[in-house]
Amino acid sequence: MSLGAVIAGAWRDNVLVSALVELTYRCNLDCFYCYNDLGLPGEPLSRAQWERLFEDLAAMQVLQLTLTGGEPLAHPDFFALGRRARELGFLIRIKSNGHAVDEARARRLRDEVDPFLVEVSLHGAGPESHDRQTLVPGSFERLLGNLGAMARVGLRVKLNATLTAWNEGEIEAMFALADRLGLRLGFGATVTPRDDGDATPLSIAPSRAAVARLYRVLGERTPDPPATATSPEGCTPPPAAEKNCGAGSSGIAVDPHGNVYPCVQWRRPLGNLHQASIREIWASSPVLAGVRGLTVEAKRRRDGLGETGRWMAFCPGLSEQRTGDPLGVEPGALARAEVLRQVRTGAAPAAGTEAVVRRAPPPGAELGAAVVPPAGAAARRRTLLPVIA
Amino acid sequence: MTGSAAFGGGDAYRPRRDVRFRRIGEEAVVVRQEAPEVLVLNPVGARVLELLAGGEPLDAVGAKLAAEFEVAPAAAAADARAFAAELESAGVIEPAPEAETGR
Repeated sequence: MSLGAVIAGAWRDNVLVSALVELTYRCNLDCFYCYNDLGLPGEPLSRAQWERLFEDLAAMQVLQLTLTGGEPLAHPDFFALGRRARELGFLIRIKSNGHAVDEARARRLRDEVDPFLVEVSLHGAGPESHDRQTLVPGSFERLLGNLGAMARVGLRVKLNATLTAWNEGEIEAMFALADRLGLRLGFGATVTPRDDGDATPLSIAPSRAAVARLYRVLGERTPDPPATATSPEGCTPPPAAEKNCGAGSSGIAVDPHGNVYPCVQWRRPLGNLHQASIREIWASSPVLAGVRGLTVEAKRRRDGLGETGRWMAFCPGLSEQRTGDPLGVEPGALARAEVLRQVRTGAAPAAGTEAVVRRAPPPGAELGAAVVPPAGAAARRRTLLPVIA
Repeated sequence: MTGSAAFGGGDAYRPRRDVRFRRIGEEAVVVRQEAPEVLVLNPVGARVLELLAGGEPLDAVGAKLAAEFEVAPAAAAADARAFAAELESAGVIEPAPEAETGR
């Protein structure tokens, strides 16, 4: 049986394979478009509660555990939790900004946590764009030094970037930088609102032309781009899957306060680990049952969009956040699908699509729309923590 | 040591340090982090790996397979040895140090 068939089976039979845990929202950077809800109420999970969660997930045969944040290394028990995750046999992925991963910490990561992959955020090809987005001067140069340290100790590293209005002129330069460093670069085109609904990040959403250029570059760099790719952004269903994605079926996300969600983007609470174990939530959450049904409906919804649907990364979580309806077509997704279709097929804009894009979106939803940050947005700034500075 | 001929019934093996695996449904998904490579094992293969990882020596693995899958003990033992050889040559398992197995 192929891996794709195994994953398809997990989606179908609701077998939890992957969990993403946001250990903390503390961070040593202050990225302008960070999606974390820094005002999220609740009590942080204790180290013992995180460990109990990990033990339950291991007993449930969860393979992949993603440690993220905020900056996961900013959690005071990060290494203890990482060691426990390793003991429990997870395939560990760490999503970090890399700012604190100097050579000493890189060695500790390798020796104590042994992650399969460390995914590090890259915001630009140079300090002007990178530091502008992180809001921390010097962060680009420090990142370059730390990437070198990670390479020297043998960590497997991948770079992740999000296309924004501030780095859209550097697409090729960012790939060239990644090539020079000998690292893969994953590049997404979707800037999302914050998890509390604050649309400020959309003020630096990329232009349509930049999205098209990114898709062209990605196509050129992929030896054999699929003829009917859904999107370069992931979440592509296995063949013949009846669901749109594995949210709540093969994957979950957990925030620092123990709220459990179908995925990192779909912030519909399924339960809370202060009140119930993950086993109980997985087995009996009525919200989760509804989410699984919605992923089936979402697949039908996308299929119903015909040609456009084939090119679309249909995210029920983002749709719910942007339109109030997980089955609603989020205008940005529609626009990106059309751009991708044009880039991959060389076709002219589909009749009517442009009108849909112009008519439907709320402020900020179009690819390059400018949104005036709400008053008080600056008050969101994090306290930069000395613990991992 | 590779190949089934080299495997004795009392030998014990363990997953290599970079190997992660889980049961997903009936199958086992095995990831070799350093390759990197993903292998999918069928239910019998999944059980062999599970038993070896649990510290069972090969002869005990064969006996358990015979009981659980209702096959002749000799055939199960041969299958276990052959599959262990395959897993070792694929970089999934390695001989366990004696201290770990109590031998």
